[in-house]
Amino acid sequence: MIENSQPKPKTIQPVAPQTKHVSLVTRPRKILRGVLAGLAIITIYSLATLNNGNLVFADAFKSLGVNLNAMFLHPGVGQDTFGQLLRALVTSVSLAMLTTLLGAVIAFFIAVGAARNLAPSWLATTIKAVMAFIRAIPTILWVLIYSVVMGLGASAAVVGLTFHSVAYLVKAYSESIEETSQDTIEALKASGVGFWPIVFQAILPSIVPALLSWTFIRFEINFANAVAVGAAAGADDIGYFLFMAGSFYFNFHEVGLIVYLLLAVAIVLELVSMKLRGHYLKHN
Amino acid sequence: MLKVIQLDKTYGSNKHSLKNVNFTAQPGEVTAIIGPSGAGKTTILRSINQLIRDDSGQILLDGQDIRQANKAGLRKIRHHIGMIFQNYNLISPLTALENVLHGRLGAKSTVAGMLGLYSNEEKTEALELLDEVGLKEYAYQRCDQLSGGQQQRVGIARALMQHPKMILCDEPIASLDPKSTKIVMDILRRLAKDKQLIILINLHQVDIAMEYADHVVGINSGAIVFEGATKTVDDDVLQKIYRQTDDAKTVVSANEN
Amino acid sequence: MKTSFQSPQQFFRQRRLRLSVVLIILIGIYVTSMALVNFQTWTSIAKIPAGLIWLFHNFIPTERSISYLGPILYQLWRTLLVSISSTIVASLFALIFAILGAKTTTPSPVFRIVIRFGASLLRNIPVVAWAMILLFSFKQSDFTGFLALFFMTLGYLTRAFTETIEDLDAEKLQALQAVGANYFQCVFCGVLPEAASTLTSWVLYMIENNLRDATLVGLLTGTGVGFLFDYYFKSFRYDAAGLIVLLIAILVILLELTSTQIRRAIA
Repeated sequence: MIENSQPKPKTIQPVAPQTKHVSLVTRPRKILRGVLAGLAIITIYSLATLNNGNLVFADAFKSLGVNLNAMFLHPGVGQDTFGQLLRALVTSVSLAMLTTLLGAVIAFFIAVGAARNLAPSWLATTIKAVMAFIRAIPTILWVLIYSVVMGLGASAAVVGLTFHSVAYLVKAYSESIEETSQDTIEALKASGVGFWPIVFQAILPSIVPALLSWTFIRFEINFANAVAVGAAAGADDIGYFLFMAGSFYFNFHEVGLIVYLLLAVAIVLELVSMKLRGHYLKHN
Repeated sequence: MLKVIQLDKTYGSNKHSLKNVNFTAQPGEVTAIIGPSGAGKTTILRSINQLIRDDSGQILLDGQDIRQANKAGLRKIRHHIGMIFQNYNLISPLTALENVLHGRLGAKSTVAGMLGLYSNEEKTEALELLDEVGLKEYAYQRCDQLSGGQQQRVGIARALMQHPKMILCDEPIASLDPKSTKIVMDILRRLAKDKQLIILINLHQVDIAMEYADHVVGINSGAIVFEGATKTVDDDVLQKIYRQTDDAKTVVSANEN
Repeated sequence: MKTSFQSPQQFFRQRRLRLSVVLIILIGIYVTSMALVNFQTWTSIAKIPAGLIWLFHNFIPTERSISYLGPILYQLWRTLLVSISSTIVASLFALIFAILGAKTTTPSPVFRIVIRFGASLLRNIPVVAWAMILLFSFKQSDFTGFLALFFMTLGYLTRAFTETIEDLDAEKLQALQAVGANYFQCVFCGVLPEAASTLTSWVLYMIENNLRDATLVGLLTGTGVGFLFDYYFKSFRYDAAGLIVLLIAILVILLELTSTQIRRAIA
């Protein structure tokens, strides 16, 4: 309603140039440049003020070189046995599997309540907000918080990791559910089918590939988290051995061996995920 | 018999609204609803099984008013009304057989429905229905591997699995080629006769309506402008149904607002 | 897959059998894992409500915790700076590696193989291991955290950038080559502007991610807000620790919202 708007106080306005200026820079481009420039300035400021604890960088990098040499070219078991390390690695993998499975089951049911095409919008919004809050707090803090209640060890690790997994998977699952077409849901509603049968017979079969792929991604995250939890909260897994070797015994041969073990697991996971993805691409 | 009496539905804009809609559809007959796009064909169809809640009126199916039913009652009534759609709306990663069996879900308890527990008789019946629409050999194919016409026939079999009194068809052939159109329409006509079903079809192709319908309901701008046997439809009637004046009026009134 | 069965009953029997096998395997994995990590599902789940109540009693910041606000905000700010700067520096290197390593722009297939392998190596070493490796040489300083995040991010972004560049329409590049642009002109006038918004989107995502990881790295290397949390936590000043958790959550959510806005604006 420009015509009806109140007359503005007259201000001196620059006269628009008569010849049309050909601009190659669109508005998104300008914003993009602005964002990048801002990030660059923050980075420069941050690097200039970084607390480097009076490090002599030449010495530090030299010592890093020596350590890397010890780690990767001369891996060894240190004061632990290879059996112990393997057992700890198995614990980490188990921790990741356990928390992913538990998290996936709980998350699926919560996700049904968080999907906008199934649940009333106040419920979906509330659940999504709570999950965003849980997700925003790093996993390791959840584990530490629970370790006060349950005592340091496996239970706190599982509950803390599961907590964060649920929050992550609810977001992923509910978005997958929201992608199923409203029309197919309506078709079953039109024939008098109730809520839960629609969820399990119509929605679930349609989104299995998406669910599997998200769950697997979370499994990889959980494995990395399990290692972190071991290091920072003393669960009896490979992360704990890594932490002890790295910052207690300063045995870099052992750190190297553990890193090799972790890499081996990562490679296996990557292969499995490629297989899984290939399998589902073929079917769809 | 389906009897729709004084059905009203108002939307913010005039498009798709209904004004005092009255008509009947008989078992054993194909009843076609025709009219220009935006006239309210889909609104009528979706009001009948209350996917759209209308404002006032009566919808009597064998004397029972669908609009008065409570939530559980409505589910029961819906179970006896099959519906097929322009985009088929099947669960595409599942097989044709499983999609047909979905027609039984409305009759099951929540737990049995969740787990998809079907009796042996139901499974056999589903296969027979696929045979009836000529798709027996595709029973174990995923639906996204079927052609459009085949998917629509699966949709019909799913509707039949409900043991319906009536099948609502929302533009069932709009996405199909002429050959599939003929197959689907032949099946629908045969079902009306053989099973004494009420078949109510939204169509925008007049020639198809003339060829297959027994009874025609013409709608323009949300109001019924013609109802009668197909053989009584002539050029004058079609002029009346497809006249543009009302549309033009709509545009004017929208501008006035 | 077999597409014909003798009867629908047989089809459903086979379907149910496959489903049962999958379920049994999953339950088996669960039970085995439970035994291996020595975890009791029900007793632990039963403790969750009590845990949450305890949490609300002890972790709610009180008036006393306000006095800790100064150092907390300072460390939070430092942590944010480290996560942004490590991401940006890593993204510069990642961009160079990605251009050299992407199928469409690589000068030689040898680069491609070496870069792929290197990125995969960097990515798959957990951030904890990076912290341990660097802690000894770089001591308890922000720089340790910076480097640990830098290496992780470098691995991730090199892969993400490579894939982004490879996903670009090859015909547009050919069009530039056709008008006689040389390699650098192709890259700087064709590839980069075309990919810029996707690449930035990845950078923003990594900043969010690094802010979370920075807490963990700080915990391990004794720097930033992670260290402060550990310090209050171990000295039983739970209200102060709770304040940190709350502030981290707020910061992460703010960052998420900002980058969503930016992403929408540059798309």
